[in-house]
Parts: sequence; C-alpha cells; structure tokens
Amino acid sequence: MAGITTHVLDADRGRPAPGVRIDFSVREGDAWRLVKSVVTNADGRTDAPILPAAEAKVGQYQLEFHIDAYLKTKPGVTEADIFVDNPVVRFAVFDAGQHYHVPMLCAPGTCATYRGS
Amino acid sequence: MDRPALTRRSLVGAGLGAVAATGALAQAPSAPPRALATAPNSQAGLGPRLTLHAIDNFHGTPGAGMVCDLAIREGDAYRTLKTVTTAANGRPAEPLLVDEALKVGQYELLMHFEAYFAKAGVALPQPNFLSLVPVRFVIRDAGQRYHLPVLFTPWGYSYYRGS
Repeated sequence: MAGITTHVLDADRGRPAPGVRIDFSVREGDAWRLVKSVVTNADGRTDAPILPAAEAKVGQYQLEFHIDAYLKTKPGVTEADIFVDNPVVRFAVFDAGQHYHVPMLCAPGTCATYRGS
Repeated sequence: MDRPALTRRSLVGAGLGAVAATGALAQAPSAPPRALATAPNSQAGLGPRLTLHAIDNFHGTPGAGMVCDLAIREGDAYRTLKTVTTAANGRPAEPLLVDEALKVGQYELLMHFEAYFAKAGVALPQPNFLSLVPVRFVIRDAGQRYHLPVLFTPWGYSYYRGS
C-alpha cells in the first residue's frame, strides 16, 4: 500500500478522537495548497485515505489537526487547559511506493506524532 | 563432542559480535552528540517566561545545536520573532521570551530537524521524513511560566507543557 493515512487518538481518554477536522495540504513552490478537509470517523480515522495510493507522489505534505474544537466538546476541559490547540505536521513523502501513516496523539497539554504503520 | 561445538559456536558468536560492533560504528553519527553530563533544571519560583528544551531521543542526549525560529501568529501569518540555537544542554542560552516579551497568542517554533541530523551524520532518506518541524502552541496567560520540552527523533516527536 502507498499513500497517506492518519489516526487521531485522544491520549487524555485513551480513545479514538472522532469528529476532528483535518486540513490536508501539499507544498507547491513557496506555498501550501489546501487539498481537502476531512473529519475523523468514530474510529478516529478517515473513511478514505488522506492521499490514495493512486495519487501518491514525492513531495512535502501537511496535516493540520483541529484539536482545539474537539477538546472543547469534552467535559472537564476548559480553554485554559489547552496548550496545544491545532498542531500541524509537515512531512515528506520521499518514496511514492511506500505508505505513510501519520498518527496524532493529542491531549490538552501535549501532542505526539510519528511515522506509524 | 559438545566442547568443540561449543567453542566453535562461541567463536562464531564472537565473530558476529565483532561484525555487529563494526556495523554499529559504521552507522554511528560522524559527529555524535556529547555524553550526557547535564543536570535537570528547576525553574520553580521564576517569573513569566517561555523556555525550550530540545531532547534527542535518537541519541539519548540533549538536542544541542538545534536551530529554531520562534514566530507569533498575526492574522493568518506567522511573524518571526527570533532565531535561536540550543546550547550543549539542549536549551537556548536565554529564555525564548521573558517577562513583558511574553505575550498572549498563538506561537510556532520551527525546528530544523533535517539540519540537526545531517550535522550529526545520521543517514536518512532525502528529503527526510521530517525536515522543518512546526511546533505550535498557545500562551493564554502572560503571567505564567511556560516550559516547552520537545522530544524528537528523525521519525517522530512530541511536545508538551512542561514545568
């Protein structure tokens, strides 16, 4: 499999994070072009790959996770707790034949991302 | 009967060990970070400030010599405030922002991962999976102290509000 997928996890609750908007952009010249916005499903994933295998190509990509809006819907979270609001992950697809799974683990005071599988 | 076999096996083992050691040396950074000799740093009781600690989880050392551009959001764009380089302990010599320079707002710290690992001699794909990494966070109360540790490898990172 090739392309890009993601998975948003609520590390505060140990659950998938549904309903998180993700803006997916690609680098073109000096600018980021928004390709699409998607929303995570009940499993914290997107129904379709962020970038399908057929469209995979070498380049610089960006995922912006709208964690802020998600966290504000959670009981017990106040705005003052949110240190990481909308984390942005920029990464390279350096080999279009490989798959890039880029998860986002979020909580009000922290976030983590990595090349997953 | 057992003894020569055991000897031969241990010789093979030693040989493999030597190969593994050579392999590890060949892959070791050409300019590896220095041995860890720094102590944790308590900031209890200090005034409002934003401080950074870059921690290299690939080498298990402070992230020394990491170039970082600090920017604040203005409208839809980020305006660069300063560029700093972390010292041997993984911290910039001065706080990123202190006292009245610490303002409420959305910030981005752009960290130069690719240059850092290139300098350390780590062989990675070109372009690297992570090259210029934006670390975004919010300062909501300019009267508080904010510590920003960033734990990183060439393949991932995490950051959090520390203390």
